Amino acid sequence: MKLFSVLGLAAVFAAGIAGAARADQLADIKARGKLICGTLGTSEPFSFQHPQTREIVGYDVDICKKVADAVGVPLELKTIAVEARIPELLQGRVDILAANLGYTPERAQQIDFSYSYFVSQQKLLTTKETGITTAEGFAGKKITAIKGSSSEQGVRRLIPTAETVTFQDTSSAFLALAQDKVDGFCASELILVKLAKQSKVPMVVIEKSLFVEPWGLGLRKGETAFKTLVNETLAKAAGSGEVDKTFSKWFGPGTAFDIKRDYQIEEIKG
Amino acid sequence: MGYVFDLGSVLSGKYLDWFLIGIATTLALTAVAWCLAMAMGIVLTLVRMIPFPPLGWFVALYVEYHRNVPLLVQIFLWYFGVPSLLPRPARQWINAHHGEFLLAGIALGLAAAAYVAEDIRSGIRSIPKAQYEAARSIGFGYLGAMGYVVLPQALRISVPPLINQTLLLFKNTSLAMAIGVGELTYRTREVDSYTFKTFEAFAVATVVYLVISFGIMALGSWSGTRLKLETR
Repeated sequence: MKLFSVLGLAAVFAAGIAGAARADQLADIKARGKLICGTLGTSEPFSFQHPQTREIVGYDVDICKKVADAVGVPLELKTIAVEARIPELLQGRVDILAANLGYTPERAQQIDFSYSYFVSQQKLLTTKETGITTAEGFAGKKITAIKGSSSEQGVRRLIPTAETVTFQDTSSAFLALAQDKVDGFCASELILVKLAKQSKVPMVVIEKSLFVEPWGLGLRKGETAFKTLVNETLAKAAGSGEVDKTFSKWFGPGTAFDIKRDYQIEEIKG
Repeated sequence: MGYVFDLGSVLSGKYLDWFLIGIATTLALTAVAWCLAMAMGIVLTLVRMIPFPPLGWFVALYVEYHRNVPLLVQIFLWYFGVPSLLPRPARQWINAHHGEFLLAGIALGLAAAAYVAEDIRSGIRSIPKAQYEAARSIGFGYLGAMGYVVLPQALRISVPPLINQTLLLFKNTSLAMAIGVGELTYRTREVDSYTFKTFEAFAVATVVYLVISFGIMALGSWSGTRLKLETR
């Protein structure tokens, strides 16, 4: 008898939890009073710790802030590792991802992508000494990338004969290239340009992009109301020139990159 | 929001291949490091027993370094540090021949050697000194007394702790992931980042590690009974 009442109680609890999980995410965020945004915190200028204020700032962070403003709640940042991004979102520990998240068909099966808010040129970095000048030159060579990144998957897809060696972070991958342990390093152009500049070993970025990758905000599947709001926010910010302002703050004149926005804020077509 | 545990999706096609390659690499790395650890461990023990203090200090320093510096740091040092001290041709040879595997094996083996040396030393100390003295008094030299009388008993006594070290060494191979050795944990994370089936991927790895660990333990208890000395 006692067992039955315990079981009954458990069933009620389970139903309650399931019910809560089924509720609309947008309503949940409003009820909670804050938007939890998953971001990397290690990727300048998208999301990194400001040297003076010690706060996480960057392009990704500003984009997330716009979403939080549109919902009408404060923004809370949660820093996560590259490979933990999608699990953290799926398990509900963050509401949204603004974390250098490139679109891939594999990822799109797991999560929804918002409109693209950045388009990344994925390039290859190599030492001057290898003499490699094209992506084809890497056939049969070793290429490094960050573990769990879309660069890793891109290398496998586009240079199938190359061997990929992945590392936990940018610095290890870079060191492996500098010490000739690998022949190339695939990542976003912005990261590579900065590394090539800082490197003591002469390095070159292969001019032609290996592939172009639109980045979207990561959302849980089936949250239609929240997704619509996020996309409307991005489209509105693009129309009002707010995106341009944010873009030039992090990438424009006066920054190390000095580039112009050459892509549209639009739906990512797989 | 029920979670569907879908083992099939991580145990099919190329993902299964990745797991198998990972298991083979883990076993190979364990074997290489184990051989190095045993050989180096015995050498260290013998060197320590030579009655010339500086050699003893050297071994003590070796043991303390490997026991007190985190293993991951030691692996990074071997992978990123040591090759840059070598001449260029040697470095190129290492890079061309899966240096990460070799260097991880050396780092793991040398670290385990410190523990092995301590375990064997404990075994030797458990053999009454009188036996060694008796062997010397009937004409054995130092090596003969050690080789025929002390070590055969001491190594037997050391078997249980050495099995323990083997288990630790086996599990520690997962740290080689950090320098890009494609062992089981590295492959598991790869499967995870492709399929996003985190739970399933690590469940597979857990079971494999457990099965192999139990295998090593079974081997240990079997050899324990086989090697037992008849006591009179």
